[in-house]
Amino acid sequence: MAAQKDTLLARYKDMFRIRRFEEEAARGYAKGKIGGFLHLYIGQESIAVGASATLKPDDYVFQTYRDHGTAIARGTSTRAAMAELYGKDPGISRGLGGSMHFFDPANGFYGGYGIIGGHVALAAGAAFKSKYKKEGTVSMCFFGEGATNIGGFHEGASLAGLWKLPMVLVCENNTYAMGTPFSRTSPVEDITKKAAGYGMASDRFDGHDVQEVEARIGAAVELARSGGGPTLIEILTYRFRGHSMSDPGKYRTSQEVEERKKRDPLKVTKTQLESLGCSEDEILALENQVEEEIADAVQFAEEAPPARHDVMERSVYAPSNYVYPPVGQP
Amino acid sequence: MLEEMRLDENIVLMGEEVGYYQGAYKVTQGLLEEFGSDRVVDTPIAEAGFAGIGIGAAMVGLRPIIEFMTWNFSFVAFDQIVQNAAKLYQMSAGQLQVPIVFRGPNGAAKQVSSQHSHAVEAFYTHVPGLWVCAPATPRDAKGLLKAAIRDNNPVIFLEGETLYGIKGEVPEVEEDEIIPIGKAAVAREGTDATIVTWGSPYYTSLAAAERLAGAGIECEIIDMRSLRPLDMETVLQSVRKTNRCVVVHEHWPYAGPGAEIVDGIQRDAMDHLDAPILRVTGQDVPMPYATNLEENVLPTEARVEEAVKQVCYRQ
Amino acid sequence: MAKIIGLPKLSPTMEEGTLVTWNKKEGDTIDVDDLLAEVETDKATMEFRSFDKGVLLKILVEEGQTLAPDTPVAIMGTPDENIDALMAEVSKTGATAATESAPAEPLPVETTTAEKATPQASSNQTTTAPQNAQNPGKVIASPLVRRMAREQNIDLSNVRGSGDHGRVIKRDLANITPNTSKPNTHHVPLPGIQPMGVGPDQKEPVSQMRKTIARRLTESKRDIPHYYLTVDVDVAPLIRARAEINAELEGQGLKISLNDLLIKACAVSLARQPDVNVSFHGDHIVRHQRVDISVAVAIPDGLITPVVRNANLKGVLQISQEVRELAKRAREKRLKPEEFTDGTFSISNLGMFGIDHFTAVINPPEGAILAVGQVREEPTIQNGELVAGKRMRMTLSCDHRVIDGAAGAQFLAVLRRHLESPTTLLL
Repeated sequence: MAAQKDTLLARYKDMFRIRRFEEEAARGYAKGKIGGFLHLYIGQESIAVGASATLKPDDYVFQTYRDHGTAIARGTSTRAAMAELYGKDPGISRGLGGSMHFFDPANGFYGGYGIIGGHVALAAGAAFKSKYKKEGTVSMCFFGEGATNIGGFHEGASLAGLWKLPMVLVCENNTYAMGTPFSRTSPVEDITKKAAGYGMASDRFDGHDVQEVEARIGAAVELARSGGGPTLIEILTYRFRGHSMSDPGKYRTSQEVEERKKRDPLKVTKTQLESLGCSEDEILALENQVEEEIADAVQFAEEAPPARHDVMERSVYAPSNYVYPPVGQP
Repeated sequence: MLEEMRLDENIVLMGEEVGYYQGAYKVTQGLLEEFGSDRVVDTPIAEAGFAGIGIGAAMVGLRPIIEFMTWNFSFVAFDQIVQNAAKLYQMSAGQLQVPIVFRGPNGAAKQVSSQHSHAVEAFYTHVPGLWVCAPATPRDAKGLLKAAIRDNNPVIFLEGETLYGIKGEVPEVEEDEIIPIGKAAVAREGTDATIVTWGSPYYTSLAAAERLAGAGIECEIIDMRSLRPLDMETVLQSVRKTNRCVVVHEHWPYAGPGAEIVDGIQRDAMDHLDAPILRVTGQDVPMPYATNLEENVLPTEARVEEAVKQVCYRQ
Repeated sequence: MAKIIGLPKLSPTMEEGTLVTWNKKEGDTIDVDDLLAEVETDKATMEFRSFDKGVLLKILVEEGQTLAPDTPVAIMGTPDENIDALMAEVSKTGATAATESAPAEPLPVETTTAEKATPQASSNQTTTAPQNAQNPGKVIASPLVRRMAREQNIDLSNVRGSGDHGRVIKRDLANITPNTSKPNTHHVPLPGIQPMGVGPDQKEPVSQMRKTIARRLTESKRDIPHYYLTVDVDVAPLIRARAEINAELEGQGLKISLNDLLIKACAVSLARQPDVNVSFHGDHIVRHQRVDISVAVAIPDGLITPVVRNANLKGVLQISQEVRELAKRAREKRLKPEEFTDGTFSISNLGMFGIDHFTAVINPPEGAILAVGQVREEPTIQNGELVAGKRMRMTLSCDHRVIDGAAGAQFLAVLRRHLESPTTLLL
């Protein structure tokens, strides 16, 4: 019981960290400190946190452009993440990637991809290497329901199934592909029906309970790790914010949003913690730690030196002696 | 490939019919037997998928060689090559390298018409983050392929579809001759005009040069061998000597490395030009099927000859 | 109100000027800064621009007349204005203002000027007619040909192009002899042969420039106690340095000459040995705190010394470009007065004509001038070995009133050190 409480407290803290990070990112965007596209993860935190809990440090994770939450759940520092949004040199991609292209391979995070679908094949490639080198690692790829119609998804999933690659494909069905409800874009409402065509296992469930996410994804990870091949998982979720900061969200009613907020993963977890005997103060203390961390991250990003021109120029080609003139070390 | 695969077990080969079929053009003959199906991987018809898998595997440490049965099929994998392979090193600020070779036959074969006859170099040379090689001779093909495999960047390796039958001396295994990407070769010395070319038209240009020599015009032929990076220094040196230049290539005339070379010459050898630079290119049409049409769409000896005479004011 | 327009003083040393051409005629409306006439001064042909606006009512002097500054040359005013009073005034004062040397009658000069006899002119006569009759003055030439023409001083307007659209191409230049010989070669083209010995001697007027040269050099040679110091320098290292620099510049269309290096070396030597960078002015001596090198340039009917300012502080490439530009404009007589006056030291190089050795006349008020001969290939003893050497003889003429023998000799020793070891110029 105490162990369960501690674990759940840790999950809560991780989810709260993402929530607060995203809220401050939204503020930064409103103040004009952050530009371009900004896709927030608010409402989906239980998936990133629950899924990451099932992975080992050297497992591979790929995500779409809605990537802050997953990267932070994998261990990316909020300082480096916020500095990236601010386009600063100490950012996780040194200001070259921005919101959509976080990269943190040291923490097993292999990128946020702006062109969805193709990254499923990349994740399958990492799984291919894992299998070829008998690493015992797993490659996990996140994508939205909108990505399941594009060719890259089909080819990646199809090859992963064909070669029984150690992979978990996690579809975060947040109900809207930008502004279009899924019912208007896919011939089948249940995405996991596609798994049969790729010759892989599947699972489908609601994502607001982090404990359930962890347990169900955990099973798929174990299957992949033990050589049983990939699983296609569909998690039903909801994003409380627009598709991006420039999305007014007119395609859904405020009653609908309010109704969904009752199943806010943070609220759900808080109730669970209380029933495990956790006091209000315990939770508040945890939240305060996170508040401090996020405030520090914002200040760090504000004060960090700007992205560097020379870094940009040196980041086009990797060092090589096999080209003339040779490309030097960055 | 054989030599390099023996040296480094991180190299895997992937593509359609590379294994049991022994390669659509027999390029991969015998590799399956030596390395097994883990390393010589037959794929379904899913270029976007296996190109992506190659890139993903390269990101995490393998050194894949992806064979396109022909480069015409690479367009369905264009997203993977341009959006991922070329940009990952930059997007990740150098945290991820993509050591991968995409290779296959490029350009027109014989009467395979519009969808199977692309010279694709203009599409890929446009992209920073990729290297592009287009060897013409067996020796260059071997030396450049070794460099491409060992390089830590994605390399587009264009083999001439009509050149697989060309025989030539190649260095022995022990020599391990590497030809650096981005180094052109003076394939023929001459004084009166420079012909800049690569790939299949290299042979057209050589033949034209021999005929022109009969008319008293000595052409210098520069075989670019690589198209990104472009070895402009070698081109400029030659043009400064001959004062005249014809660029011969198979790809369409609108933009591309042919036009890029012309731009480099006008910028850095303006005061050495005695005539406008001319290009002999594939004609600006989708490739027709009929032989009589196809032959004239491709750069011909006669068109090369005519262009050289024109820059030499010999008409 | 009509007024008399006088000849302006168009150069600091102008004592008289020849009105070469009138660019306006009587009755023309004139605005401020309109070109009225061209005037040949002692140094250059200058533009005479109007300071006034109005109508040119009367031209008082003919083309070709030589006049003192301020001599009335025209009357300007409002249309139909009565100018009788002004004319009377002119006839009173004008006679005294104009110098007696004004040659009113043009002499029957035919073709003996140096310019007409240059090989370029004669070879051009052998080429066919100008290529673009409808568009005279516009030459279509390949970029290569334009560069060659620049470098070899070939006038393309007379060359017929055989390329497309009449473009002048490389082979069209095959029969054209360059206008000037290339520096540092001894192949001075033979001048065209004029028929001689069948007519009376011809007289020609003395140009303003010729008069100035005559006056100033006579003063110099008469008043300044010249003495001469000669050294024979090993220039092989300097030639190697030039080759290295030019290899570096290859492809940029740039090239430096030995003379450019010499200017740099002299300038640096003067900075190190400032006793030679001086002027004698009778009651006082000026020790210059700048090194401005006058470079003697031969032009069709005389010689002029454009100045490279602060040459000790400039790179050789910059010196080279300045000299080339100054020499070009000198030949076109378009130098501004401030560009050919107030140097502190002169160099005169006749090496390109195959001269081994000569002495030069000091260009006052400068204190010294260096006369430079050609590079000679001759056997030389080096470390006891007989080797093929490259030597150059130079003679420094000094004004003994202000530069003593030891100072001049020390300067030459420094200069020799720099020339024989050009890397020391970097110090």
